[in-house]
Amino acid sequence: MKKLLLFLIALSASIAILGCDGNTEEQEKIQIDFWHMSPVGSESYTGTKDIINAFNDSQDTYFVKGTGYGFWDYWDKIAVAISSRTAPDIGFSTIDDVPIRAEAGVLYNISDLIASDPDGIDIDELYQSQLDFATYEDDLYALPFSATTRVLYYNLDMFEAAGLTEADVPTTWSELETVAKLLDVVEGDEIQQLGFDPTYGNATYHGWLWQTGLDFFDDDLNPTLNTQGHIDVLQWMIDFNSEYSRSQLTAFGDANAMLGINPFAGERVAMIVEVDGLYQIIKNAGATFNYGVTQIPVPDEDGIRVNWGSGFSVEMYDNGKGEDDQKAGAWEFLKYLMSYDVQMELAEVNGWIMAHQGAMETVAEGNPILERLLEEVAYAVDKRYVPYAPSWHGNDWQPYYSQALEGELSAAEALEAARNNYLQKKANWEATHQD
Amino acid sequence: MSKATTVTKLKKQENLIGYLFASPWLFGLIVLGIFPIFMSLFFSFTNYNMISAPTIVGFKNYEILFTNDDLFWKSLGNTIYHVVIAVPLGIVVGVGLALLLNNKIRGMGVYRTLFYLPNVVSVVAMTLLWLWLFQPNFGLINELFKPLYDLFDMEPLGWYLDQKLSKLTLILMGLWTAGGSMVIYLAAMQDIPVTLYESAEIDGAGWLKKTIYITLPLMTPSIFFNFIMGLIGSFQVFTIAYIMTSGGPSRSTYYYAYYLFDKMMIDKAMGMASAMAWILLVMVLIVTIFALRLNKYVFYLGDES
Repeated sequence: MKKLLLFLIALSASIAILGCDGNTEEQEKIQIDFWHMSPVGSESYTGTKDIINAFNDSQDTYFVKGTGYGFWDYWDKIAVAISSRTAPDIGFSTIDDVPIRAEAGVLYNISDLIASDPDGIDIDELYQSQLDFATYEDDLYALPFSATTRVLYYNLDMFEAAGLTEADVPTTWSELETVAKLLDVVEGDEIQQLGFDPTYGNATYHGWLWQTGLDFFDDDLNPTLNTQGHIDVLQWMIDFNSEYSRSQLTAFGDANAMLGINPFAGERVAMIVEVDGLYQIIKNAGATFNYGVTQIPVPDEDGIRVNWGSGFSVEMYDNGKGEDDQKAGAWEFLKYLMSYDVQMELAEVNGWIMAHQGAMETVAEGNPILERLLEEVAYAVDKRYVPYAPSWHGNDWQPYYSQALEGELSAAEALEAARNNYLQKKANWEATHQD
Repeated sequence: MSKATTVTKLKKQENLIGYLFASPWLFGLIVLGIFPIFMSLFFSFTNYNMISAPTIVGFKNYEILFTNDDLFWKSLGNTIYHVVIAVPLGIVVGVGLALLLNNKIRGMGVYRTLFYLPNVVSVVAMTLLWLWLFQPNFGLINELFKPLYDLFDMEPLGWYLDQKLSKLTLILMGLWTAGGSMVIYLAAMQDIPVTLYESAEIDGAGWLKKTIYITLPLMTPSIFFNFIMGLIGSFQVFTIAYIMTSGGPSRSTYYYAYYLFDKMMIDKAMGMASAMAWILLVMVLIVTIFALRLNKYVFYLGDES
């Protein structure tokens, strides 16, 4: 018994000793917790670690401890941490719902920090549309960190094979239809190649809707969806490839899914609406085909040049414990992350479009695709946060959307059913949110 | 010091040591079990978005769910459909397999292992595998059925992509793991005294009569156990729909637990989700109480009555 006890003590002592890495310098510094999306083993891990280490090496007062979670894990982890008031000092989140967290008092006021340290961050380098999303009651509570944009990718080899040139790349919906049909390749009953489909990739109903000046909700967040304009846009999407049967299109779509890669990257469709990330996918896959990117074609009359963009915000979390040292340290690190050089490094490491315009312009120099993508970021608008239906474009809309595409409901019926669902959710939300 | 006080002291000491040994479990029960359960009951009477502090709304969440939430009823309907078909079918297949595997033929151990094997596969891996098998255009199952489709001149079945068949597809897929209950049935079968079969054989009973009059009645305790457990488990069906169909098509596989999950994760309505959890608990409790009444048809060996 005695021996066992001695053994256990010796074991725990050695674990304790091993646990100390002997870096007393780190222990003397104030620790700042930073959560990111580059876990050990991910491609961006080393780059992210280098960026953190460079900050730590330059610091006498603060020490940043980075913790990486995989993209899908990250959201649950940060949500739980924020609600249990154990959030890291600095981390990422989604930019469209910053006001919810600001209202709940879990974020530090960034405008106050900028006011007391005016040279810290060059706000003018950030996109105003993104800053608006990070604003609550006229103050910034987060900063845009990265940006996403949606563009039209077109395969130049396929254009050439169909006797078309880059000058034929469509800019309006009617041109899109004409050009797309020239690019369809059908053998027997089987579709081999599709010119374009407005439901493929990252094209969304609300994306097309915005181009016509319509939206899902009015300014008071009441669901609209019941106008002829709404029906027409959905009908246009449904009818785009209506010369093919549903089973032909499904077989083609399934074959795409079997490939396991994006149908554009797999050279199955000639044009697709996709996010900037597809550029990285094509680059990493070492694809050899020629392609270009351009703005998404707009409606022929009064079309609005707009695309659905989103992005991460970088936020400083206030856990209500009066951690002033951590707050000051997190601010130092935030300034570092948002600096010109580091934003350039982050763009390289993650393959993201960063929020810093000047840094991105330098990164994109000499790269026509990236330059074109950046141009479209200026026209990117994030979706609105609807508290009674946070996933209005996803979970709430998708069942009706797919029923309309499958022909189970007409466009008008699907929109009416979706609208009723939003109305019910709104009524229920209001019933439980009376002050 | 009197003998009595020493004994009391020793008893106290013994109790203390007892509690000390039980403390990890007690900690788990109270902190990880009872506390969250009561917190969820509290949350069910609040409006809680998991960021701001919860605000009390009384019975509003329950009232809304019952009176003004179409998806609540839709998801409940889907779940009841699943329970009503999956539970009896699971029992029939489980018992059937056990009857088949209760023979004394060569390599029986291998067969039993093979049928049990799906139970050691993770649900996610299993679902992804069946996703390919049931794929309407390229799946192996439709390939196998092709001669039948040609014979009857019909369109290939859409399986999980057809809203009329999707729930049934998930149930059929679930039967792949019937080997789990089969093991329990097999154990029950092998507990049946051989003497009963011997006397039945003397009276001229064949395999069918022996099965109906001896095997099945004496298996009722294990069938009953699997029935109750299956009932409780089926009300919580979630994973297969989450991975395979995302609740679709047209919300035909949007089960109660899936809606509960979305209420919390997507709509950030923890209060409403908690209320749903408590409604589910009460529903399962009521169904189980009724199911327990079937106990009178269960035959326990050695039972005087």
